[in-house]
Amino acid sequence: MHQVLSLLRKDIRLFLRNKVAFGLTFIVPLVLVYIFGQVFGVNRSSSGPTGVPIAVVSNTDAAVADAIIDAMEDETAFRVIRSWKDPDGREAMLTVDRTRELIRDNKLRFGLVFPADTVSEERFGLRLIFLNNPRNEIETQTVTGLLQKVIFTSAPQALMQNLHDQATAYIGEEKTSSFYDGMARTMADSFDLEYEVVRANMEAGVMNFGSESADGPQSDENDADDDANFIDQIVQIENEQLAGADVKSPGATRVVGGWAIMFLLFSVSGAATSLFEEKQAGIFHRLLASPVSRSHILWSKYLFNMLMGLVQLTVLFLAGQLMFGIEVLPHLPSLLVVALTASIACTAFGMLLSAISSTPAAANGLATFVILTMSAIGGAWFPTSFMPEFIQLISKLTIVYWSMEGFLAVLWAQKSLFEILPIIGVLLGIAALVNIFSIWRFNRGNLFE
Amino acid sequence: MPAWANGHGLHDSFRREPAGRPTVGGMLSIRSVSKSYGSLTALDDVSLDIAAGEFLGLLGPNGAGKSTLMSIIAGLKQPDAGTVDLNGTPATREGDAARHHLGLVPQNIALYDELSAEENLQVFGELFDLDHATLRSRIAESLDAVGLSDRRRDRVKGFSGGMKRRLNIVAALLHRPKLLLCDEPTVGVDPQSRNAIFEFLEQLNREGLTVVYSTHYMEEATRLCSRIAIIDHGKILAEGSLAQLLAQLPTAEQLSLPDNPSVAAALTSLRDLGSVTSTELGHTLAIAPNTTLSSVFRTLEKHGVPSTDCTLTRPGLEDVFLHLTGKAFRE
Repeated sequence: MHQVLSLLRKDIRLFLRNKVAFGLTFIVPLVLVYIFGQVFGVNRSSSGPTGVPIAVVSNTDAAVADAIIDAMEDETAFRVIRSWKDPDGREAMLTVDRTRELIRDNKLRFGLVFPADTVSEERFGLRLIFLNNPRNEIETQTVTGLLQKVIFTSAPQALMQNLHDQATAYIGEEKTSSFYDGMARTMADSFDLEYEVVRANMEAGVMNFGSESADGPQSDENDADDDANFIDQIVQIENEQLAGADVKSPGATRVVGGWAIMFLLFSVSGAATSLFEEKQAGIFHRLLASPVSRSHILWSKYLFNMLMGLVQLTVLFLAGQLMFGIEVLPHLPSLLVVALTASIACTAFGMLLSAISSTPAAANGLATFVILTMSAIGGAWFPTSFMPEFIQLISKLTIVYWSMEGFLAVLWAQKSLFEILPIIGVLLGIAALVNIFSIWRFNRGNLFE
Repeated sequence: MPAWANGHGLHDSFRREPAGRPTVGGMLSIRSVSKSYGSLTALDDVSLDIAAGEFLGLLGPNGAGKSTLMSIIAGLKQPDAGTVDLNGTPATREGDAARHHLGLVPQNIALYDELSAEENLQVFGELFDLDHATLRSRIAESLDAVGLSDRRRDRVKGFSGGMKRRLNIVAALLHRPKLLLCDEPTVGVDPQSRNAIFEFLEQLNREGLTVVYSTHYMEEATRLCSRIAIIDHGKILAEGSLAQLLAQLPTAEQLSLPDNPSVAAALTSLRDLGSVTSTELGHTLAIAPNTTLSSVFRTLEKHGVPSTDCTLTRPGLEDVFLHLTGKAFRE
């Protein structure tokens, strides 16, 4: 037993002195658990995303529109956006065209339009237009579901109230009341319901006439379920997909960029540790004693990793075309440009790992931590719009985010090379900044000593 | 001649000067070089001149400053103070010109394990802008010289330690340097391979190549080097040929003699040839520096003491080190 305890003490001591093992055991899981928790709202009363931006344009005076917008604003999952800065910097109310433009440009991904004929005398029910760019399946499904819930919960009452108001205005209050009285008695007799309850619900616009009331014993969710079939018939939501409508393999096209960039980061970080292997073998001494400078060594490594990254991404995308029908070849030139810049940025990341780590083990541990974190907050696993705003801000500093933006701009939104230049610029900018820092570190570090 | 060597030199281009004789011209000039790492002084005002064709041994215990000095000569490290000139060209980290004159055999086996012997040499040769034909012929010569021609296409990871060491050396010779820096090139090598490496280096030196050989093995320095610089705590304590270093000792050889009547009869005469110390185990004659061994043995023979009864102990570099530092070499 004494021997076991001695060996146990030794293992604990070694573990505590191994910063990489310590980090991978505690820090990586804690960071990822925190991010997952923020995304899925595990600590909130209502789980799920919060503050997903959705544009709302109302071109109608119908009270039902206001009721739905009020309900959307009360729904924590949404952040209702009614205005946007126009090109000259002034805040202006959103129009349908402007909302379409913003969604096409990926500045927003969802919009709900209440057209002028949201409520029409010529038909029974509501007409709404749902503008969307479903480039992220999880995000789109979640937003669609939440939107349906909000509409199904708030629309029937508002709609019936609207019909009541219209009827009152058309035939007068006395005749309307008489109509309700007659209807309520007939329904109570026919379905064995209480007349007073049916009568009160009719006037309040509650569709489930027989229940105590909308605020009664049944929950909102149950009400919504009960009303769903009926609502389907009276709420007509027109879906207007503004990007990716022509994509042949939407599912695979959406995810291929995130996967590809994650694998590339792992490859590049692995290749970067070869610097340590060459150092340990003494090869740097031999090279530096020949007409080779430190920058020659670093540039050769950089070019190698960059080319390998480009080849890896190209192979992955072409395999995606063969296996899943992703349309790669029609967009190959733009895709190669994004792949090249993504490789440049990822290689910069790999070189940074070598520059700031003292051992290959430290570099590998740091790579695992940073790649998983970048993938989580960069949108490779779940939509960035589900994350708190501060994490969304950090995500825009990651290579994963901008690489995915580039791949989706080419493959999903089918943008031209000119249109993706800003994304290319950001990736090259990140690479430049990381490289400047790495060079500074290499000059101060002992990699070549 | 090593078993694997082909009997002729690597290349005539090493034969710039008469074989084995250092020339007057300076190959390497180290002037007042100092280097510290934080509070640790690795080199303290080191100066050395090495002539073309010399085989200089840099001898010192671990941590003496040998590797730091080799790194500075090779331009891998910048000295805090002082200068290093290689064949009249400053050897700095940016000094490409000096690097064309220099070949470095690192202490580690600095080869790519997954590449073949031939591919390794090609990688290192191409760095010196050798044209394709020249490089091909030098690779073939080099592999032939170290007996690896028949393994040229095999990956290095399958080589024995000795084979790797030989390849490690010729990888530094492809561009025909004027100066070869060997930083403890026999670490971890079996005695047979070590001997073969010695013979190869001696052959290169005979062909005119200047060699600076860093080691903490005295027997290596004794065997190989025409001149030895002893370094400790970052300082050059002494330099010169083995004979010159030994001459710094107060005594030369020592002769141990048994305690018997013949020896007792000879003691008076022997005291004229050096100092005699007697114990119950026997007598020791520390032979005076100006006394020849032959005169000692003639004296013993005259008193009927057979030479087989005597044990001669020659002083070595360890005694020099002990004399210079007051401590044993491997402390």
